[in-house]
Amino acid sequence: MSDAIVVEGLVRRYGSLEAVAGISFSVPRGTVFGLLGRNGAGKTTTLECCIGIGKPDAGSVRVLGLDPTRPQGLARLRPRIGVQLQATSLPEKANVREVLELYAAYYGIAPRAAEMPARVGLDGKLTRQVAQMSGGEQQRLALALALQHDPEVLFLDEPTAGMDAFGRRILWGEVERLRAAGKTIVLTTHYIEEAERLSDRICIVQRGKIVAEDAPAELVARHGGDATVSIEAEGFAPDDALQNLGRWTRTGTEWKLATRTEPGLALAAVVTRANSMNAKITSLDMHRPTLEDAFIAITGETIGEAA
Amino acid sequence: MTLLRMFLVQTKMHFMWYFRRDGEMIFWTLVMPVFFLVLFSYAFSDGTTSRSSAFLVPGIIGAQVLSSGFWGVGVMLATFREKHLLRRVYITPMPASVFFASLVVYRMTLLAAQAVLLIAAGALLFHVRLLGNPLEILAILLLGTATFVSLGTIIGAVTRTTESANNIASILTVPLAFLSDAYVPIDRFPHAVSSALRLLPSTEFIDILRDVSISGASLTHYGVWIAALLVWMIAGTVISARTFRWV
Repeated sequence: MSDAIVVEGLVRRYGSLEAVAGISFSVPRGTVFGLLGRNGAGKTTTLECCIGIGKPDAGSVRVLGLDPTRPQGLARLRPRIGVQLQATSLPEKANVREVLELYAAYYGIAPRAAEMPARVGLDGKLTRQVAQMSGGEQQRLALALALQHDPEVLFLDEPTAGMDAFGRRILWGEVERLRAAGKTIVLTTHYIEEAERLSDRICIVQRGKIVAEDAPAELVARHGGDATVSIEAEGFAPDDALQNLGRWTRTGTEWKLATRTEPGLALAAVVTRANSMNAKITSLDMHRPTLEDAFIAITGETIGEAA
Repeated sequence: MTLLRMFLVQTKMHFMWYFRRDGEMIFWTLVMPVFFLVLFSYAFSDGTTSRSSAFLVPGIIGAQVLSSGFWGVGVMLATFREKHLLRRVYITPMPASVFFASLVVYRMTLLAAQAVLLIAAGALLFHVRLLGNPLEILAILLLGTATFVSLGTIIGAVTRTTESANNIASILTVPLAFLSDAYVPIDRFPHAVSSALRLLPSTEFIDILRDVSISGASLTHYGVWIAALLVWMIAGTVISARTFRWV
């Protein structure tokens, strides 16, 4: 029993729209699980079904062995999970200390008003009213509320959308720290870099379905395609040794190598051969496949901003 | 202990919301009712303000109970939902009962302040005297508040936006205040109309409140009406509980 979360055949409809059309995954304890996809792909709905906000039309959800779709399961689950919702939703007339005290009371713990603000970069702002805080600050306070009761499982819904670089660094640092402390984390994001950096496993969600699931490096290796090395050099032509590196194509004066070998080594070999041919290099480029390449290959679309 | 602390901190949060709104709420809940009392006492006077003011003190307190339920609870819940505050609260371990208890206590405290202010203004400005038993006055006020909070919660339950909750609350509160013996005596209407209006829970409540507080009548004479209010309250609670959505 090492899975913190098990979702099976989850379906959620809004009218005739199937927002979630049969999603299954499981999240081992102590790992970070990223749901990556465009806005409107069904990530948030999936997450909401895990925390009792969304009611599945079909399928089952277990978090820490409990069923969040049933009142008893949800009641036992609530103290053990922390949630940062997409839309920040804080009492706007209260200040940072008062909000921390409110949520400490909800969880029956002592407020951690000394520790939490420092962790989320709000030190010295205990008396700042929510209404007077920037959107990024509010999001960081929301993160503090998700963490204050030291939950076993953390759900983060687009936690850095609209955050500045400072906020993103703080959130990423917290996720890495909590993972090291053995917590389980589910995050939804449409930032590829964020999913890649934080997740042990990534689910790519498209139109309510999971279209790929693997470790980030595996997704890239399997779906990212070949690395490429492009060179423009007068008098250059790939010889037999270079032909062995991969497939060469020529467009105008540019030669392009698509290769499965380490692109840095291929690049070095290409440059060495070009120099020994006395070819004058005018342009040189290398591209290592990224998670974005894998995403495009898998979904047939860029992640974009729009739904 | 934990539940009590939850309740106290949540109630404090409601008051924070009330007091820190640039005086806007204080104006509507404390200043305006007294202003109405003075204005209508003169407007409806029959040469002297003693009868009109004695009619209006319990009438306006009753109207405040109505608007407290419809606006204070109904619209507030819709606003909280629209701002996603409700769903944020829903995923914490706080039981729904604690949340609603804090809301009811918050509104009752405000109503007590409003009632005291209106009674004091009536006494000082118009020499209105309360002859009723204070405990009976308190009892009928509590019953009325519970009834209209439960009915107001239905507004908060069935509306999706603050705007629509506002509309429903206005449509209910303003006409009811005039049709329920709060501002104007309904016995000035044709008998058939006033008899029909007496079936409204708001009319029943305000009439009992007036009879008990001003005329010193005993609550024991109003068994049927009190039973009717209880039915409204239970119906309101059941419908609210069935229809309420946190998200």
